[in-house]
Amino acid sequence: MKSFFRMSYPYILWIGFFIVAPMFMILLYAVTKGGNNTLTFHFTLENFGRFFSDPDFMRVLWTSLRIAFITTVVCILIGYPAALFIANLSERKQTMMILLMTLPMWINMLLKTYAWRGILMNFDDLSSEIKVFIGMVYDFLPYMIIQIHTAIAKLDRELLTASYDLGANKWQSFLKVTLPLSVPGIISGVTLVFLPAVSSFVIPKLLGGGNYVLIGTLIENYFLVAGDWNFGSAISLIMALIIIAAMYVTRKIDRGAEE
Amino acid sequence: MNEMKAKTRREHHFFRTGYLILVLLFIYLPIAYVMLFSFNDSKSMINFSGFSLRWYEEMINNQDMLESLKYTVIIAVIATVVSTVIGTVAAIGLSKARKIIRTVILEINNLPVLNPDIVTAIGLMLLFLSLKIRRSIVTMTLAHITFCIPYVILSVLPKLRQLDDNVAEAAMDLGATPVKALTKVIIPQIYPAIFSGALIAFSMSFDDFVISYFTAGMDVQNISMFVYSMKRFNPAVNALSAVIVVVVTVILILANLIPVLRDKKINKEEV
Amino acid sequence: MRKLIEFRNIVKTFDGQVVLKGVNLNIYENEFVTLLGPSGCGKTTLLRILGGFLEQDEGTVIFDGQCIDKVPPYRREINTVFQRYALFPHLNVYENIAFGLRIKKTGEDIIRQKVSRMLSLVNLEGYEKRKVTKLSGGQQQRVAIARALVNEPNVLLLDEPLGALDLKLRKEMQRELKRIQQEVGITFIYVTHDQEEALTMSDKIVVMNAGEIKQIGTPLEIYNEPVNAYVARFIGESNIVDGIMKEDYKVRFDDKNYECVDFGFRPDEPVDVLIRPEDIAIVSPGKGVMRGEVKSAIFKGVHYELMVETKTGVTKTVEMHVVTQHDKENQQAGEKISANDFFVDAEDLTEKEMTDADFVRIANAQAWDADNRDISLTKVTHNIENKPGVYEITFSTEKGTAVTVKVNVVSPEYVEDARHNIGISALDFFITAEEIQESMAISTDLKTWASAEAWNLQDDTSVEITDVKFDFDPATVTEGTYKITFATQGREYKVETTACHEVGDRVGLSFGPEDIHVMHKEVADA
Repeated sequence: MKSFFRMSYPYILWIGFFIVAPMFMILLYAVTKGGNNTLTFHFTLENFGRFFSDPDFMRVLWTSLRIAFITTVVCILIGYPAALFIANLSERKQTMMILLMTLPMWINMLLKTYAWRGILMNFDDLSSEIKVFIGMVYDFLPYMIIQIHTAIAKLDRELLTASYDLGANKWQSFLKVTLPLSVPGIISGVTLVFLPAVSSFVIPKLLGGGNYVLIGTLIENYFLVAGDWNFGSAISLIMALIIIAAMYVTRKIDRGAEE
Repeated sequence: MNEMKAKTRREHHFFRTGYLILVLLFIYLPIAYVMLFSFNDSKSMINFSGFSLRWYEEMINNQDMLESLKYTVIIAVIATVVSTVIGTVAAIGLSKARKIIRTVILEINNLPVLNPDIVTAIGLMLLFLSLKIRRSIVTMTLAHITFCIPYVILSVLPKLRQLDDNVAEAAMDLGATPVKALTKVIIPQIYPAIFSGALIAFSMSFDDFVISYFTAGMDVQNISMFVYSMKRFNPAVNALSAVIVVVVTVILILANLIPVLRDKKINKEEV
Repeated sequence: MRKLIEFRNIVKTFDGQVVLKGVNLNIYENEFVTLLGPSGCGKTTLLRILGGFLEQDEGTVIFDGQCIDKVPPYRREINTVFQRYALFPHLNVYENIAFGLRIKKTGEDIIRQKVSRMLSLVNLEGYEKRKVTKLSGGQQQRVAIARALVNEPNVLLLDEPLGALDLKLRKEMQRELKRIQQEVGITFIYVTHDQEEALTMSDKIVVMNAGEIKQIGTPLEIYNEPVNAYVARFIGESNIVDGIMKEDYKVRFDDKNYECVDFGFRPDEPVDVLIRPEDIAIVSPGKGVMRGEVKSAIFKGVHYELMVETKTGVTKTVEMHVVTQHDKENQQAGEKISANDFFVDAEDLTEKEMTDADFVRIANAQAWDADNRDISLTKVTHNIENKPGVYEITFSTEKGTAVTVKVNVVSPEYVEDARHNIGISALDFFITAEEIQESMAISTDLKTWASAEAWNLQDDTSVEITDVKFDFDPATVTEGTYKITFATQGREYKVETTACHEVGDRVGLSFGPEDIHVMHKEVADA
């Protein structure tokens, strides 16, 4: 059956070209200068320096991180009880609930964000940050709910029975058994919310107006407006690295929770 | 004592149902709002002035909008088919690979999933432009295929690992060639995973904005790009949204009803 | 002894099925009680109702004099050891055991003391910091026991806790559990389907089936004096025979009256008679109360298990005619064809609709081409009527290759044994030597060729023909006529003996009045 391995050759070629090569391109552009639509080989780190030394850029970075963080926290606060309640429903009702929750995930994100734009026109006096924030929570909430629900639904019912048997009431059992064991689900949900939230640029642009800038918007600007590919790549790389670091940290927490 | 227990249980039920209803309301608010205003007589998104179908007419007459819808569907279908095939084949190959190779390839495979889509998008754009490949519907489709394949693999591979190796070997012992063992034994068993992988791929492609934005040429737009690039607000978008909502709902209802109906029919036949 | 738990008329229904049909049971202090029965008998349901995890539909549970129906599980002084242990995977051994104590807000140092004591009780000292998911099945089991016991409950419930362990470990754990129960001195209520487990550990066994209690007693009582055939079969090996209780101390079965030690039955009441295999002794044929032939002897390590046939069943003898078949050849078409003459029961012709396919099968009609590949027989013509006589039947292929054979329609005599309610029938038949040699299971094939059947005269159910006697060698048989005798099983007794016996030995069986146990027949549920 080793011959089956040969079946993956076409795929390996594909990812080599379409996944690995592009990563290299970003890396190359980030560490060179004078790009602007062409690749030179003047290696330099000035792109990174430029980013970190400018307070405006730092502010943008900070805002992105902050918004993503608050969005994640709110998603957990709203999503966890929802997931918990759904998990305690009868099986048929659960399936229906999950269906209802996931239906919007099939609808184009831009259309949904546009819909919010319309609704928020009624509330013009809200700050753009809050508007962006509502849009983000709306977009990411179903993912968090699904992840937490999966984790809770997988729990052995007998564990709760054992907890009652040992004298813990419903609230105590939740705190001491259900909650700790659902943490992997929360972490999954966090990776599905925080990371895309940091890099999002559509929602800030559509709901926050032209003045609300996050990292994603920055990258878009430097590529498509300013035409400074080197700088744009550098920012992309920085963001990618932040995200990889965050993933690494969450994986460690997840591993640690297992042990 | 019994009454107290029942009462608190009822209260709990209320709270639980109430909370879930609130969450559902939040989730369906924009959808309902948009569907309502798609029938609005005026252009406003704030005041509902009267019932009218003008935006649906507008939508049908809007060439750009319809074209973007057409492209969205075409690209989604092509990307789904191609990525499902490549992905399934790759998953089968990978399931037999040595652990080290498999881990490495899977890590790379996951890059488009883990990376923010803007990074994937930029990477692909740089690739195409540096190689002086003009951006077009072709590059866009290639990009879609690229980010769809990982989802197919992520869906199919676990199911493959679960399979009993002995079954395929038994097939070959009974005289099936490896190809036959593949088509008659392995694939039927992983069919649900292939199907759900294809489904995810389709929805990823249909929904995509960022990657399309950076890899499409001047002459192609999908729905997301169309909406993003609208200079002024066009309420026909509401009509489009309403239509998509209805289509998606119908599909999901059917997808869930058909297995149930089929089971009922089988049960009837057995009796 | 103090009565600790009382189940009064517990009824529980699931999905329309009545799982507990009004169960009444008392359990006392310091008892090791086992609820024994097959899956689905309701034993686990009863346990869960006691634990508070299920609510009964009718009836009450009284604990220590008080009704606990409305008390939630976390406030009952009962702890449970679950079938799949249900250890908390995110806590280590120490924390798992300490869980209940922490809920009660016990002081840290007291917790440490009690947990240590428990760990030594279950022989897991030093395992405090281990992850429960990394423990073996037996170790997890012991943590589960410790976790329940550390809370010092009055009653410990155990729901088939040893099911997942291998045999040796299970036996060890059974001894451990008994020891712990006696050392700690509390009531254990144990649920299992394994009768050996029940016999080993219990002070009292409650045998259940289909939601009802069949018998309550000590292991000795249940083993020696089962109340009916169900309980007798559930525990230990048995020989159970239909009998009639003539009067007190006298029972009749297998055509003979025997003295026994049971009384209190109605005169001539139909009963079940139980004799345990280890109570029957093998003696020389003249000296026993019965005699018979050893039909099988299996070495079980401790003893031999013999099946002794004391009475043969009903027999029917037929004649097998071995003939040489000449294949008929159709040289033009390059085909060959062959078929056997055969016998058919006239009653089968009328009652069953015999199709052409049946005739092809009985005649063993075949056709094949030059490459020895089978050709289908497309045409079958005959003049068979359902009156006794000799008829003809012709099988042919598409290309016209045909063979004609004789059909003997007979109305054979059945042999009916009214006393034992069994009928048997078989037909003479024709067969070729090749077919006999090709047979891979000669007794089975003889039955098929002779269409031998046996049935119960009262309800027409099929009875197995266990014996096929013939005296030719299938490998070397030649043309001729041979007698075949088919027989149903008569009466067989299972006997345990340490002496070695061989199949075919004629022996005598001996047992005394105290070895016979008479039981009322179980009334089937309406």
